[in-house]
This record gives sequence, structure tokens and C-alpha cells, in this order.
Amino acid sequence: MRQLRNTPFHERTSALCQPQNWRKWAGYFVVGSYEHTIDREYWAIRNAAALIDVTPLMKYIIKGRDAARLLDRVTTRDIQKLKVGQVYYTGWCDDEGKMIDDGTVSRLDETTFRMTAAEPNLRWLMMNAVGLDVQIEEQTEGVASLSLQGPNSRSVLKRVCETDIEGLKYFRLMKNILGGVEVTISRTGYTGDLGYEIWMNAKDALKVWDALMEAGHDYGITPVGILALDMARVEAGLFMLEVDYTSASHAWIEAQKSSPFELGLDWTVALDKPGYFVGRRALEREKKEGSAWKLVGIEIDWVGMEQLYAEVGLPPQIPGSAIRASMPIMVGNVQVGYASTASWSPLLKKYIALAHLQKPYYELGTDVRMEITVEHQRKHAPAKVVKLPFYEPEWKKK
Amino acid sequence: MDTYDYIIIGAGHNGLVAAAYLAKKGKKVIVLERRDIVGGQVITESFGDGFTVDSLHAGGTLRPDIIKDLKLASFGLGIDSVRKPFISLQEDSNHLVLDPDPAKAAESIKRFSEKDAANWKPFLDFMDKASRFIHLANETIMPRLPKNFSFNEGLGLAEIGLDLRLMGGVDMMRVIRGIPMTAEEFADEWFESDVVKAAVASLGIHGFTLGVMGAGTGYTLMHNWANRGGMSHVSVQGGVGKISEALGSAVKSFGGEIRMGAEVKHIQVDTYTCKGVVLKNGEEISASNIISAADPKHTLLTLVGAMNLPPEFVWNVQSIKMRGSVAKVHLLTDGKHGIPAGTVAVAPSIKYLEKAYDAAKYHQISEKPYLEVTTSGNVVSVHFQYAAYKLKSGEWKVESKKVENVAIDTLAEYFPDLKSSIVNRKSLTPLDLEQTYGLTEGDLNHGQIMLDQFMFMRPIPGWSNHKTPMDNLYLCGSGVHGGGGVSGAAGRNVVKVLK
Repeated sequence: MRQLRNTPFHERTSALCQPQNWRKWAGYFVVGSYEHTIDREYWAIRNAAALIDVTPLMKYIIKGRDAARLLDRVTTRDIQKLKVGQVYYTGWCDDEGKMIDDGTVSRLDETTFRMTAAEPNLRWLMMNAVGLDVQIEEQTEGVASLSLQGPNSRSVLKRVCETDIEGLKYFRLMKNILGGVEVTISRTGYTGDLGYEIWMNAKDALKVWDALMEAGHDYGITPVGILALDMARVEAGLFMLEVDYTSASHAWIEAQKSSPFELGLDWTVALDKPGYFVGRRALEREKKEGSAWKLVGIEIDWVGMEQLYAEVGLPPQIPGSAIRASMPIMVGNVQVGYASTASWSPLLKKYIALAHLQKPYYELGTDVRMEITVEHQRKHAPAKVVKLPFYEPEWKKK
Repeated sequence: MDTYDYIIIGAGHNGLVAAAYLAKKGKKVIVLERRDIVGGQVITESFGDGFTVDSLHAGGTLRPDIIKDLKLASFGLGIDSVRKPFISLQEDSNHLVLDPDPAKAAESIKRFSEKDAANWKPFLDFMDKASRFIHLANETIMPRLPKNFSFNEGLGLAEIGLDLRLMGGVDMMRVIRGIPMTAEEFADEWFESDVVKAAVASLGIHGFTLGVMGAGTGYTLMHNWANRGGMSHVSVQGGVGKISEALGSAVKSFGGEIRMGAEVKHIQVDTYTCKGVVLKNGEEISASNIISAADPKHTLLTLVGAMNLPPEFVWNVQSIKMRGSVAKVHLLTDGKHGIPAGTVAVAPSIKYLEKAYDAAKYHQISEKPYLEVTTSGNVVSVHFQYAAYKLKSGEWKVESKKVENVAIDTLAEYFPDLKSSIVNRKSLTPLDLEQTYGLTEGDLNHGQIMLDQFMFMRPIPGWSNHKTPMDNLYLCGSGVHGGGGVSGAAGRNVVKVLK
């Protein structure tokens, strides 16, 4: 079997990772948590500045006269409208309109784009590029990436970037010099907070890390592992491939697949763009007929849950990190869906979950019950369908 | 600008059959042909004074129901009722002569094996049954497996199944087993003489880039047998081009149009529908539906364009195996060529045929080729296998001479007077087949008929019913089920699936 690789930041991250809590991500070792508990890392995301190694994100450079045409064909968004220096979040589907993966598409110049993905998509891109004047290059190894997230992230970058970052708007990107090396900075992230992602040549990785750590010292910059990130992304209502949905390219059965509508990505499906794109016909049909499922947020009623624990003489037991498990959701005695990730939100002081519910139970305000295990016994805690995201600070887009 | 009910791309025999049926129904039809002659592969052309020849197919018949429905006899189509023998040449001039009369054929076979002679009649009876099955299968629209398998599609299959069953247990099993077999094994089941086996097995490779020891040539043997109606070609009075001329006349008499020199550059697409076509000269013609008799690869990847089609579909179309390896060598002689009338084959042994095929595997030209020769007066027409479309070394412009020379040298071993009788020659390489006749990779079948490219997998799995991801674009050429060889089945079938 192939060995897991280390990211270009490994020299720094491994020195800081006290509990040896390593996680596997797209063929790389990344830090799960730097400390034995993840509270400090979580709070760095929400109150200070979190530095997260996100190098394992799959990265593709798509270049050439037909680059925009290729991405317009593959993704559900209208890429012709994407301006140079702008970033789109998008999903992409198979021809049955079921999601294969999701990520971002950045327009670096008129004919050059960077696409990020959770899983390898090179073959899919090549299959779609037949007859097009386009070059596709995978840059996952060659380009290192850091995510700097939290309300102080802008202040940190302002101290360390040669060109002022102040004017960089939400989902835009700019070139910059950081720690003496060329980087691209996009105002994107996976936390739903103010935040940036910094893209650099892998050989410059440590210089950038060191510059940020130094500049961020007074702003509480904290290296953060992916366990804390997992809690933040649930609060932000952001789902994850192979946790909250299964890619159509390796689902075992039809029922495991999800459409972008079912995942709440209606706003990313540009049915008004001209011509064929992959999945268009199926998506048009679903739009017309309505979706059978919907990914929603649910809030578990604390008092209701407390009672279930009280019956056995315990206070509510909540895990310290996000739970990636399928938990049945009931209405009456009928199962109407399942939660795919649940997490305690330290900031909201609520137990929340991302859940897939069947029509018509996915409507906002619907009362449901989620299965929890209380002292080895299955119980159902009352919960309610709520609007996503659970948490959206005013500074996210400001 | 005129709008047609149907544009038919390509005036090959299948395109013309589809056009004639639709015009007969009162539809407004136009056939667009890039060349200045109708017929596609089913044509008789002149390559010089007195040098008129069936360019690609030395004979052929349309299905009887098509001839009847379209009243082709009234448009000048007559089929040569006297079938000539199939002759397998032998070095010692002790040729195997398979006369259409089974008793006479048995006499000739006796010289090689008494047992084979006795088996000849039962073999013919079986092949008749097998042909009936092939014809029935070819007129059945294949279901779109694995998806969209409907009750109606099941009916067609049930009919084929019933027909198979009615053959009787033994023959049913023979046909089913014969499909994936090699032509050699197929012949082995009936005959002991290598000469007889090779003659029969040669039908399994005619027109295909497969060897007699290749799986699935049992099927192609039955396929060719069914289309020919036996071992030898059925020639047409005045040349096979008469079939196409009669079809062309039928189309026009039913009110259809045929435009010559009208090469389609691309099909105009609006998301899921085709609006019409743009010709090479820039002219636009619009239509409610388009039927393409061109090969699937050219139609879908060049005319429609991969960008307008789903990725998995495009991948499947790209994967269609074309691999032409047939060349033609036509010779004008002074008449003293010495070659007898009939279908004359250089297929002396199973090993000879398989070795000839090795050249195709290695992208070469056979030094000792499998040939099938027909004559018409002074003209000798040679079907040459194998001449690989993609040559390992050399270019077809130069290598065409090699094909000519090998063909002539090979034949001259049997007919010493041939060389001195040659007045003029014309060879058609796989590249000519592509450039002149519009056959991608020089594949006469618009895609090899192999076990993974036949029946419900033709032209690609999931799209075996003439339809395409474009709502109003249909395929009707040799590349779809029913096609391959001359019969008109694919052109007839497409009309059945139209709304």
C-alpha cells in the first residue's frame, strides 16, 4: 500500500502536535488536534486567528482557450460570469444530476482557473475535455495551502502582506508577497468566519508559515487541527464529502447519491446558463418536480434531551468533537431521515446537526426527534428544523 | 429557409432506405450526400475507359421486405437470380468449388473428404436456420440495457428467443454456442478437411479486423452468411450501384430530395435538440429531426461535438473500435485474366488465414493475404485483407503500391496469365476508404462487429435503439444494430423508432 505523505508544513506541524493525533486526508497526514482537548483550537477560529494546513485539498490548474467552456460544462455554475480574481463555490454532478464532488473555482486570469476538490477528479475533467483546447494540471503536491480563519485573520495578514489586504472582498483573490515569497490569497474558508486561504509554491511553505506565526503572535494565532475545523464547519452549515454525502462516482446504490438541490445548493445551479452542462436535464427535472430529500440544520432541544438523561440519573452527555455518524430522525414512529454530522456548538451553546430529511419534513420549523443513545438505550430527543447556517458572524462577508 | 421533417446525412444504402420509407409516409425529407454519387459503400464507379467496377462490395441484396415495400423492382432493381459458385483456390489447382447446387458442391468436397461431403447439405440446412435467426435479430430494435428496459423492448427479444427455441434444441444450442466461437471452431464442428474448414471460416473474417482464431468470428460468419444468403456473393445486374440508384429513384418518386456534393460540416445544437445542419459551403438547412447514416464516431464527435454530449456517452463513443483493415485492388485486363466466374477466395488453410491476420495485429500489410476475387467481364476486383489502417511504418500514399503488388503476385501464382493481361489498376487503401468514402479508420462496418460491439451493445451500450442524447438525432448507418454488410436493416429499423 502506498504510504501516506507529509505536507510541506510537516516540519512545523509535527513539532507542535502534542497528542500525536494525526488524521488521514486525501493521502496525507494532517494534524487532528495539536492539544489533548480541542477547545482552545476551536475558540481560536471563533475569537482569534486559526492557522490550518489544508494542503491535501486537490488542486487543478485548468488553462487554455476553452478553460472556461470546460468548467462551464463540468460545474453547475455559470463560469462565463466568473470574473478574473473571483472565486465560485460549486458542486459538480454526473449526468444523472447527482453530486460527484464540490469545491471552488478561481479565475486566475482570463484563461487560467484553479479548481479545488475533495477527491481526485483528473479523469473526470479529462473525460469532459474531449475536443477542447485546454490543459489540465494537478497541483496538489506542488502547491501548499494554509487557511487562516477567525476575526483576527485580516489584521494578521495586514501586518505581513506587502500589498494591503483590506479591500479584498468575500470570495475574491489577489496576488501578494508574504514572508518574501509570492502567494495568492483568496478570501475563502471552511469555517463560516472571516478568513483567508493562502496558496504558495510548496518549497516556500515554511517561510509563509513562519511569517504568519510571527505576525500573528499578538493576535492569538493558533495552529488548528481538523477536529476543531470540523466543529466550526457544522456551525457554518457546510457539509463534507463522504461524511454528509456520498460521491456519485463511488456510491454503491442509487439511494446513496445526492443532487445539489438535495444538499441545499439550489443557488449554485445555474439553469439559466446556455447550452448543455453535465447533469442539466436531470437537474431541470428535479427543479420542476421538487426534491425528495433536503439537507437541513436541526437543533436538538436541550431540555427534552436533559429529561431523557435524567430518567437514568445522568446529566446530558455530549461528545467533545463533531460526531460523524448516521443518527435516525423520526416523526412519530416513522423514520423520515438521518443526521450525518452532529456537534456541540460551544459558541451557540446548542447541540446541532446536519440532517437529511424527506419531503415534506424538511420544511423550516418542523418538529422531529433525533435518536441518541442514553446509557446503552436508544432514545429520541426532540429537535426542530432550523435555517442554515447555524452561525454567521456579521464580519464574515464584511 | 426551408424546414424539413427529416434531414438524412449520407446517401448510403441505409440512409436511402430510411429516406424512402419516410418520404413514402409523406414526410418532407432531404438526403445530404457529400459525394457526387449516391450509394455510400454500395456503388459502382468508373475508374477509366471500360473500367467500371463495384468499388467496395462485390454484391449484395436488400432485405426482401424492403425491396417489396419500396417497390424497388419498378425502379430498375433486378437481382441476379443465378448464384455463382464459391471457389477456394488451391496450389495444386485442385480447387474447391462450392456450387450453389448442394449436390455439385458435395462432389467437389468429396475430393477432400467423404465425410465433409456428406455433411455439406446438413450444414447448409443449419446455416439457413442460423440466417433466419440473424435476420430476425437484425430487424429487432435492441433494448437499451442495462437501463430503460421496457415491456415493449422485451417483446422483441422474446420473439427472437421463441424463434431460437423453434429451431429445435440441437440447432438452438449450435447457434448460441456459435456466437462466441472462433470461425475455426465453428467450421471444426462440421468438417474435417482443412480446405473446407478454411473456405467456410473465411466468411467469418470478411470485412472484419479479426482472425479466424478470434472469438466472435463464429457470429460474424453467420452474419455474413445471412447477408449473402450463402457462401458466394449475389451480384447485381449492372453492378451493386443499381441498388442505390433504385433507392434514390424511390426516394425522389415519393417526393424526397437528394442533394449531391452537400457535405455536412456540423449539426446545429440547442441544448438537447438539433436545429439543423451547416454545410461545408456555409449553407444552413433546418429540420425537425436529423437521421445520420454516417458512422457514430463521425456523427457524434465531429458533427455534434463532444461538448454537447454527456461525458460517459462521449467516452463510450470514443471507445468504439473501428480498425479498418480492408483494401480493394481493381484491375482492368484485356480479358485474358483466366479467373473463373464466381466468388474466388485465396483461403487455402486455417493457418494461412490466421497468419494473414497477424499483419493487422502488428499494423502491417499481409505478405500472404486473404483475398476474395470477383470478375465482371474484363474487370477483376480483389478484396484484400489485411491492410491495417494505422501502419507501423510507411504512409498509405506509398504503401498502396505494395497492396497492389502483393494482390497481383498472390493471384498470379494461381493464374499465370493475369499479370500480362492487366491494362489498368486502381487500389483503394483504408485511408482512401476514410477520405473518399467517409469511413472513419476505413471501417466498412462503421465500427467492428465484435462481441462487445454487437446487438444491444451496438453502437455503444445503453444506446442500441438508434437514439442519441440529442432528442431528435437518430443513427441509421452500419454502426448501429442491424448494420454491417448490405441489407438495409439499419435504415429500415430507424423508421420504426421515430415518434
